[in-house]
Amino acid sequence: MRLGIPGGMYYYKYEPFIKAFFNELNVSAQFSVKSNKNIFNAGAADCVDEACFPVKLFNGHVAKLSERCDAVVVPRLMNTEFGESICPKFCGLPELVGRAGCSKNKIDAMKPQGNLAYTRPLFLNKPEALENTLAIETVHLGFSHDQFDKAFFTGLDAQKYTQRGVNDIGYKYKVFLAGHPYNIHDSYSNLNLIDKLHAMDIGVITEEFVCRGDKEAELGNLLKMPYWASFIDIFATGKALIKQRAIDGIIALSSFSCGTDAFTLEMLKNHIGTFPFLVMKLDEQTGEAGFDTRLEAFESVLSGQGRMHA
Amino acid sequence: MKITFPHLGDAHRFVGLLMKEIGIEIVVPPLNSRINLEQGIAVSPEEICLPFKLMIGNLLQAWEMGADTAVMPATMGPCRLGEFAELFNSILLKCGCNYEWIVLDSPQAIGLTETLSRLSKVVRERNVPMVSVLVKLNRVKRLVYDLDKLDSKVRWLVGYVEQPSTCKYALRRCRTELSSAQTIKEAQKVIRQCSKELDELPLRNAEPIKLILTGEIYSLIEPFANHHIEEILMDLGVSVRKRVTIGWWINHTFSEAIQFGKEKNQNPYLTNNVGGYAKETIAESFDSIAEGFDGVIQILPIGCMPEIVAKSVLGRMSTDMNLKTLTIIFDEMDGEAGYVTRIEAFVDMLERRKNGLFFGS
Repeated sequence: MRLGIPGGMYYYKYEPFIKAFFNELNVSAQFSVKSNKNIFNAGAADCVDEACFPVKLFNGHVAKLSERCDAVVVPRLMNTEFGESICPKFCGLPELVGRAGCSKNKIDAMKPQGNLAYTRPLFLNKPEALENTLAIETVHLGFSHDQFDKAFFTGLDAQKYTQRGVNDIGYKYKVFLAGHPYNIHDSYSNLNLIDKLHAMDIGVITEEFVCRGDKEAELGNLLKMPYWASFIDIFATGKALIKQRAIDGIIALSSFSCGTDAFTLEMLKNHIGTFPFLVMKLDEQTGEAGFDTRLEAFESVLSGQGRMHA
Repeated sequence: MKITFPHLGDAHRFVGLLMKEIGIEIVVPPLNSRINLEQGIAVSPEEICLPFKLMIGNLLQAWEMGADTAVMPATMGPCRLGEFAELFNSILLKCGCNYEWIVLDSPQAIGLTETLSRLSKVVRERNVPMVSVLVKLNRVKRLVYDLDKLDSKVRWLVGYVEQPSTCKYALRRCRTELSSAQTIKEAQKVIRQCSKELDELPLRNAEPIKLILTGEIYSLIEPFANHHIEEILMDLGVSVRKRVTIGWWINHTFSEAIQFGKEKNQNPYLTNNVGGYAKETIAESFDSIAEGFDGVIQILPIGCMPEIVAKSVLGRMSTDMNLKTLTIIFDEMDGEAGYVTRIEAFVDMLERRKNGLFFGS
């Protein structure tokens, strides 16, 4: 049994769990390579046209893996640890990539998910339900309950004790890199943004370095508690970091036609006044010149900031 | 306090009648048109969906007409509708419209008492007893169901009458008369009258094409957002079933969790809710073949997240089950010819299949 594990969407966020879990299970796992043009093209070829860039990329990872694996892990994340939803596309991820997942096998009308594994709904805010669902899927793959229990708790520990995210020190400026983990940590889709920023003497901090309490404090004067994880991670973190005077600017990475970002970034923009703020749209184009020019312009905004206040 | 609300199909008629009977002044913004769409586009983020742009245009116009309190329905995600009020507030403040907000979340999310207390905010200024409000609310609800029933009757009847366009005109006339009705009783009479007229139309002797119209909720209910797709289909003489109406929406949001009686066949294609109407879109399409429908038309505004998932699944279903689907995505462009051509071609294709006429035969 060979399991494919695609490295897209929330893989980065839950990488410690995923790695420890499958390591402990001792399954022959095939992790996907770093994203590249080939993978994207394979994904865009048979994905629904309207899907966003990250979904197409994920589709590519699945398509590539399903060529060589018996099953590909495509989790259906219904919400995050705190109960917020992520995006409707996460709830329907197995359906969105279903075509890639079973391109090799015959299509079975009663099992439309093809050879995808772990497609049952996962509610991360309900640990017991999560454990049960994962147990059912794991046993289904031919492992025993004991094996699963051991792997599950090893995975949880790994996730708990690993600090994710980026927090650079020693750079002249510091910006909050806002966006979904699959944009921030995938150097193919963001055209190597973090390295480029480092070359300009700009350090980066991501949302993982602001604690939940600080984020929630920023949501108080909204009409209602937002229900998207990314809204809290981007909007509240941005405001909290500005309050702590920890950053000189905000760079938001947003995939083209991202439904939640259209909302979140507008809200953030309306709430931070004249604070330096740059939105970088990521799409299928790989021309870097326009991207670089805008980063350079933003750098000069940052360097001009001191003079304005003086 | 002057209350306003964004347009949703015929909702302004019902709310208008209700408030007239209670005696509360409301501001009804002009019907959706190019004007409020353009005002909305000017202030909205570019990638937001069409309903947002139309609704914010409504609210901008209502502010100019003197409204100061906005009532906004909401959900608890994951679709964007639930967050609309938040961003409306933030953008409208920038435009100088300082609305007070009454956000009507679904009772499942905030509890029944909270819903009632928010509803009572609407009537707090006029000292009307809550009981009489509820009684009137109930009567308006019946009116909503009556009009829905009439609409769905026409949608089905249109394939069987001799002159399909008469149905369209009867319905238009009914709506004009409804606008001038002063009380709920009068409105009910208009609807009954129209229904009676329709019963007397001469029928033709042929089996029409039967379609399911499904997709995103706002686009299905608001005719401006779907370029009057129902009238286009009526002109073609196609019988259509559409489940999503205002009555359905009221039931769905305020009365109970969504349930279509008992689910007969658990459809294997989309087993869990992904927000919006996506799961039901798939369920309806899955059942459509067994129920004798010829095809499915799915409509959505550009960028609608749940329906994109549904579209992907529909693609799979059409290869697996030989289901005929047409997905129409609406955006801000108002050229109608392209949409009409595609719908006509789709209906032509279905007709040819039905009569066994294939190309070259």
